[in-house]
Amino acid sequence: MSGRPLRIALPKGRMMDEALLLFGRVGSEIAAEARDSRRLILPSADGRFEFLPVKSGDVPIYVESGVADAGVVGLDVLEEGQQDVLRPLDLGFGGCMLAVAAPADAAYPLLPGGTMPRVATKYVESARRFFAQKGMQVELIRISGSVELAPLLGLAHWIVDLVQTGRTLAENGLVVVEKVSDSTARLIVNRASHKLRLDEHQRLIADLAGAIEKSSA
Amino acid sequence: MSNLRLAQVPPGSQDLLADDVRLRRTVQRAWFGLAEESGYREVIPPTFEYEEVFTLAGTQLANELIRFVDRDGRLVALRADFTSAIARMASTRLRDAELPLRLSYAGKVYRQRPEGGGHARETFQLGAELIGSAGPEADVETLRLAIGLLRALQVRDFQINLGDIRFVQPLLTGLNEAEAESLRSAIDRKDRAALADGARRYGAPAAVARALVELPELIGRGDVLLRARSLASGPEAEAAIERLRAIDALLTEEERAHVVYDLGEIRGLGYYTGMQFEVFVAGLGRAVAFGGRYDGLLARFGADRPAVGFALETDALAAVLGEVL
Repeated sequence: MSGRPLRIALPKGRMMDEALLLFGRVGSEIAAEARDSRRLILPSADGRFEFLPVKSGDVPIYVESGVADAGVVGLDVLEEGQQDVLRPLDLGFGGCMLAVAAPADAAYPLLPGGTMPRVATKYVESARRFFAQKGMQVELIRISGSVELAPLLGLAHWIVDLVQTGRTLAENGLVVVEKVSDSTARLIVNRASHKLRLDEHQRLIADLAGAIEKSSA
Repeated sequence: MSNLRLAQVPPGSQDLLADDVRLRRTVQRAWFGLAEESGYREVIPPTFEYEEVFTLAGTQLANELIRFVDRDGRLVALRADFTSAIARMASTRLRDAELPLRLSYAGKVYRQRPEGGGHARETFQLGAELIGSAGPEADVETLRLAIGLLRALQVRDFQINLGDIRFVQPLLTGLNEAEAESLRSAIDRKDRAALADGARRYGAPAAVARALVELPELIGRGDVLLRARSLASGPEAEAAIERLRAIDALLTEEERAHVVYDLGEIRGLGYYTGMQFEVFVAGLGRAVAFGGRYDGLLARFGADRPAVGFALETDALAAVLGEVL
């Protein structure tokens, strides 16, 4: 319906590098003149896509609103925001786990004396659902960074945070006490764009699925 | 010094100033012109109703109701959906009216939306309900009203995605509520891997598993109906395909050019029982109109009769016009 390239929101950081590698494998690397530039929108050399680097938590917002036609984002971020988008493909990379962590000597899941546990996290909604499912009552504290410091400083008893290698946790004397969920990068698509530009989206999904299959074979 | 609290409006509400109003009235005038010409008479349901009127539309709408407690302790909700209110009206006060009954409306609906998502909690809708006709001609009449309004407003770049919920429903029978819900969510997100995985985990028969995995791809022009027919599992699904073929046969060439068949779409409201559709306009990230057949809804209010209708998001269409005009 429209001649412009599909606009793809990507989460700045390592996941964006992996996403761009994948797009490169389907023949859509970033145009040479846009590389290392500070442009807000990076066109692909083949003219098929425009990449829009944004903060990871914002990817689903751009896609849900239709400002971006599609995006790449971790399942953890999607589950936290619950935005209304299509999730046609698991891209396989960016694997990590959302987990409850606590100081090595801390009690879990019950604190002595029936104290109400305080849990610091960036993932308030995911944590709320997890503890509710387990029938546990906790007090959630929303913080936006350095979550692993919260138990050390006495802000919280436990944390809910992303764990990739576990090194940051270990450095702060924390251990994983329970897994909340596993996460990998997903391709997400705006609902209206999927309908109106069906052929382009179907081709994108098929191309990426093909490239993933080839690399895992 | 101004009082900051007095100067604000709650999130999701807004003042509409002259230009905003003008565009909305343009849409509404075009609508009532067309509706009257087509034999539809306007009704205005109350601004608030007992909440049960709206909870029949499914959990999603039930979760979005703006409720308050009435004097007698009963829960009352602001009008969240015209179709539910008009179904109540048609089953009670208009029970003895001659059928088919053609009713139109335009006004505000109120829905609780998450903060910070840029969602209004108060939006204008307009639409029509055709009550007492069960045939594909009635479905097409409804589609034609939506198309006619877009044409009257010179909106040319639009697409209608048409499906029938009876194609998907049989694929979920025999599952417990949690299993059905997890598959519904995978269908809704067009997540093929999750569909394949779910079909395997819940031990779906081979034909059902194949249809589930194909659902996200069952979208396109008329040939999709042929593909869907080969996947149809049982009489319900076959009836769905037959109905869509009957609708297709009744459409003009020009109307058909706007229609895409979309069998894997289950967005519709909880009371839809058959054909359902969404209308998309280029440049909008959300559907601008939606509709469908709700043959079971009136019976819930006491008068069992078939019905079909559609609703259009007046604000979204006004925004499109604002860019064109």
